[in-house]
Amino acid sequence: MSNKKYQLPHFTFSKKYFKENIIKILLLFAAATCIIIIFSILFFLVKETYPLPTDIWSFLSGERWRPTSANPQFGTLPLIAGTLLVTLGAMLFAVPLSIGSAIFISEIASPRVRAFIKPIIELLAGIPSVVYGFFGLIILVDWIYKGFGVPTGETWLAGSIILGIMAIPTITSVAEDAINAVPRHYKEGSLAVGATKWQTIRKVVLPSALSGITAAIILGIGRAVGETMAVMMICGNSPIIPNPIWNVFSPIRTLTSNLGIEIGEVPFGSGHYHALFGVAVVLLIITLVINISAVYILGKIKEKQMALGKKKKKDWISADLSYKIKKYIKHALIGFFLIFVYLIAGLLLTAVIVLLAIILSFVFKKLSEKNIQKISFSIITISIIVVLCILALLLGYILTNGMNSMSWEFLTTPHTSLGRKGGIVTALLGTLYLALGAIAIALPIGVGAAIYLVEYTREGKITKIIRSAADLLNGTPSIVFGLFGFAFLVLFLGWGKVLIAGQITLAFMIIPTILRTSEEALKSVPQSIREGSLAVGATRWQTIRRVVLPPASPGIITGAILGIGRAAGETAPIMFIAVTFSAIEPSSFWEPVNALSYHILVLATEIPGQEAKIAAGGAALVLLLLVIGFYIVAILIRNYYSKKMKW
Amino acid sequence: MVKEEHIIKTKDLNLWYGTNHAILDVNLNMKPNKVTALIGPSGCGKSTLIRCFNRMNDVIPECKVKGQVYYHDKDIYGPGVDAVEIRKKIGMVFQKPNPFPKSIYENIAYGPRVQGINNKKKLDEIVEKSIKDAALWDEVKDRLNDSAMGLSGGQQQRLCIARSLAIKPEIILMDEPCSSLDPIATAKIEDLIGELKKNYTVIIVTHNMQQAARVSDYTAYMYLGKMIEYGETAQIFENPKEELTENYITGRFG
Repeated sequence: MSNKKYQLPHFTFSKKYFKENIIKILLLFAAATCIIIIFSILFFLVKETYPLPTDIWSFLSGERWRPTSANPQFGTLPLIAGTLLVTLGAMLFAVPLSIGSAIFISEIASPRVRAFIKPIIELLAGIPSVVYGFFGLIILVDWIYKGFGVPTGETWLAGSIILGIMAIPTITSVAEDAINAVPRHYKEGSLAVGATKWQTIRKVVLPSALSGITAAIILGIGRAVGETMAVMMICGNSPIIPNPIWNVFSPIRTLTSNLGIEIGEVPFGSGHYHALFGVAVVLLIITLVINISAVYILGKIKEKQMALGKKKKKDWISADLSYKIKKYIKHALIGFFLIFVYLIAGLLLTAVIVLLAIILSFVFKKLSEKNIQKISFSIITISIIVVLCILALLLGYILTNGMNSMSWEFLTTPHTSLGRKGGIVTALLGTLYLALGAIAIALPIGVGAAIYLVEYTREGKITKIIRSAADLLNGTPSIVFGLFGFAFLVLFLGWGKVLIAGQITLAFMIIPTILRTSEEALKSVPQSIREGSLAVGATRWQTIRRVVLPPASPGIITGAILGIGRAAGETAPIMFIAVTFSAIEPSSFWEPVNALSYHILVLATEIPGQEAKIAAGGAALVLLLLVIGFYIVAILIRNYYSKKMKW
Repeated sequence: MVKEEHIIKTKDLNLWYGTNHAILDVNLNMKPNKVTALIGPSGCGKSTLIRCFNRMNDVIPECKVKGQVYYHDKDIYGPGVDAVEIRKKIGMVFQKPNPFPKSIYENIAYGPRVQGINNKKKLDEIVEKSIKDAALWDEVKDRLNDSAMGLSGGQQQRLCIARSLAIKPEIILMDEPCSSLDPIATAKIEDLIGELKKNYTVIIVTHNMQQAARVSDYTAYMYLGKMIEYGETAQIFENPKEELTENYITGRFG
C-alpha cells in the first residue's frame, strides 16, 4: 500500500475551459449569422437603391414602367398591382383546396390513408419552381390559349393557377398542424353531447384552429408573392395594369419577375439599376410585413397553448359585443364579395349567386345533420382528390415528356447547338457543385446556431430574436437573395459571375431550413441524457459532442438533405451571379457554371424550336428526379429513425 | 315511465385496442335511476368500459368491439345504429374538465344548438335550468358571457356536467370526474351526483373507493379487463364474495 495521500482536486477552472469558451464564441457567431444576413440584405438593397432616379411618390404610384426608353419612367404601380392580383387569384382557389385537404388529412382520413397522402403533399412542395414554370408554359398556357380563344395564354390566370398549386402544400401543412393541435378533449366534449363529426369540426375544431389557419394562409400568400421563376415564365410579363382590372386574360408582370428579367442586363450604376433595387426593397418590405404577421400569429398561438386555462384576464369588450362585431364583419365581407362579383361579372350573375345562396341555405335547413355531414365530407374529399389529380397530371406530364430525350448520352455529354442537341452533363454537374458547396457552407453555420440555441442559452429574448430572424430569412423571396449576392459578391467585392458566389448565396438561403431541423433534432434528445453525462464530470462541449449529437444526427442529416434539395432546385438566386448557359465544365470556384434549372429556363424561354422544348423536358425530368430523390431519402431517414428511436 | 329492470346491459362484451385485449367477456346489468360505480386498479379497463356505453371508443383508431351493449333493449353496437343518436341520450363527463374555449353560455347552449334548437328564449331556459341542476347557477349567473376557461377546475367540471344535462339525456357517464379536483370541489360534485340520480341514471368510474362507497348504489369491481364482482355497494364493501375483490377493498393491492 502506498502511503500517498489522496490529493483533492482544485475546484477551479482548468485550461480546458479556454477551449470551451472558444467553442461557445464560435457557436454564438453562427447563431448571429441569421441576424447579420438579414441586416446585410436590408443594408445592401437600400444602399443600392440610392439615388433613386425619381421621387419616391412617383416611384410607388407611377403607372408606367419604361426604364429603357429615351424618356425613362419608373412607376412600379403596375408591378405592385401585378403581384397583388396574381396572388389574389392564386389564393382564391388555393385556400379552399388547401383547407379542405388539411381537414381531410387530420380529421377524416384513416391513419393509413394519412400516412400515404401527407408525404405526397410534402412532395408537391419539393418540386422546383422552374419545373412548375415549364409545365405551365407548355401545358397550361396552351390550354388557356385554346380553351378561351385569347390571343396568348401567357396571362394573369395562368400565373394564378400555377402559384395556387405551389402555395397548396404550404397552406395545407401549416393548417393541418393547427387542426391537429386542437386538444382531443374538445372534440370528445362535443361528440359526447350528440354533435355529429361535421358539427364538431365546424363548431369546435375549426374555430379553435382559426388563428393557425390564418397564419397558414398568410404564409401561403408570402410564398406566392415571393415566387419568381414560374411567374416569369407564364405571365406574359407586360408591365401593365389589366384593363379592366379584373381581366384575368391580361398579361401581367410582378415585382419578382421584373427583377428576374431586367437585373441581368442593366448597366451598373444607371438610374435603371437603382430603380431595380428600389423594386427589390418594395418586394422585401411586402414579404417582411406578411411574414412578421404570420410569425406573430403563430407565436401568440404558442403562448396561448402554454398558458391554457390559466387566462384570467378580462376581455376588453364583452362577449356579446364581440359576437355582434363578428356578425357585422361577416355581413360586410359578404357585401364586398357581392360588389366584387358585380363589378367583374355584372348584375345578372350577382343575382344568380344571391338566388343560389338563398336556395342553398334553405335546402340546408331542411336537410338532416347526417346528410349535411355527407355533403360536407364529399366536398372535402373532392378537394383532396383535385390536389392529387393536379400532382398526378404534373408528374405524369414531366415523366412522359422527359422520357423522350432520356438516354445515357443525354446525361453524360455536354450540350451543342444552343442546347437543342447533345446532353446536359455540364448543367447536371453545375447543379451538384452549387448544391454541395452551399451545404458545405450552410451546414456548420446552421447546426452551430442550433446547438447554441438549444444547449447554450435559456429561452428568452436572444433565442426569440434569432428564431425570428431565421423565420424572416426563410420567408425572404429567393430573388432577393439573388439581388443581395449580385450587389455584395458580384459587384461590391468584384468577384464577377462565379461558382463560389452562387454557393454562398444558396447557403444563406438554406441556413434557416438546417437551423430549424437541427433544433428539432437536438430538442428531441432527452435532458436526462445530458445530465447523466454532466454528472460524471464531462464538460458541456464534451456532452454535446459525445452524447447529444450522435442521437440527433439523423435529424440533422435529414435537414441537410432537404437543404441540398432546395438549393438544387433554385434558379432565381443564382441566375445572375453564378450561372451561364455554358457547355464547359468549370475548373475552379472562380468560374461560372451551368445549372439544370437555368438550363431549363433558357431552353424553354429563349431558344426557339421544338428540339429545345424536348431537351428542356428531359432536363426538367432529371432535375425533378434529383430533387425528389433528395426529398425521398430525407423522408426515409426521418421515418426510419423516428421508428427506431423511442426515448 | 314504466320502470324497467335494466337500462344498460352488456352481453359478452370484448374490446381490443389493436392487439391489446382490454375488455374480456363483460356481462353487466345496470339499473335505472341508480348510481353505479366502476372500481378497480389503474388499467383494469373501467374507463374503456364506460366509453363503450356511448360509443366514445369509436374516436380511437384501431379499436375493435365484439359483443352487445343494450340501452333499454336496443343494441347500440348493432347494425345501422348511429353513435351520434346514442350520445344524445347518454351524456358524458370526462376525467379532466374540458369546456370549449367559448363563453359559459355558449358551452351549455352548444349541445341544444347542434341538435337544432336555435330559439333564443328556449336556449336561455335550457341554459339556466342546466346550470341550476348542476349547482353552479349562483356562482356564474352574473357572468354567463365570460369565457369558461376563467372558471376554477371544480366549476369547470360542474359546467361540463351542466353541458351534458342540457341535452336532456337519460344516462350520465362520468369518467373519474373528480380526479383532477381538490377535496372541496370533489365534495360538491359528490353532492350533485346524489341529486342527479333522482332524474338520471349515473354511471361513474372512480379509483377512489371511499367515493364509490359514498355515492353509489351499485358497485362493479373490475380487474385486468374482467368483471370480477358486481352487486349492491354495501354488499361489495362489507361482504365481498370474491377474494380478488376483498383484497382490493381491504387495500392489499391496487
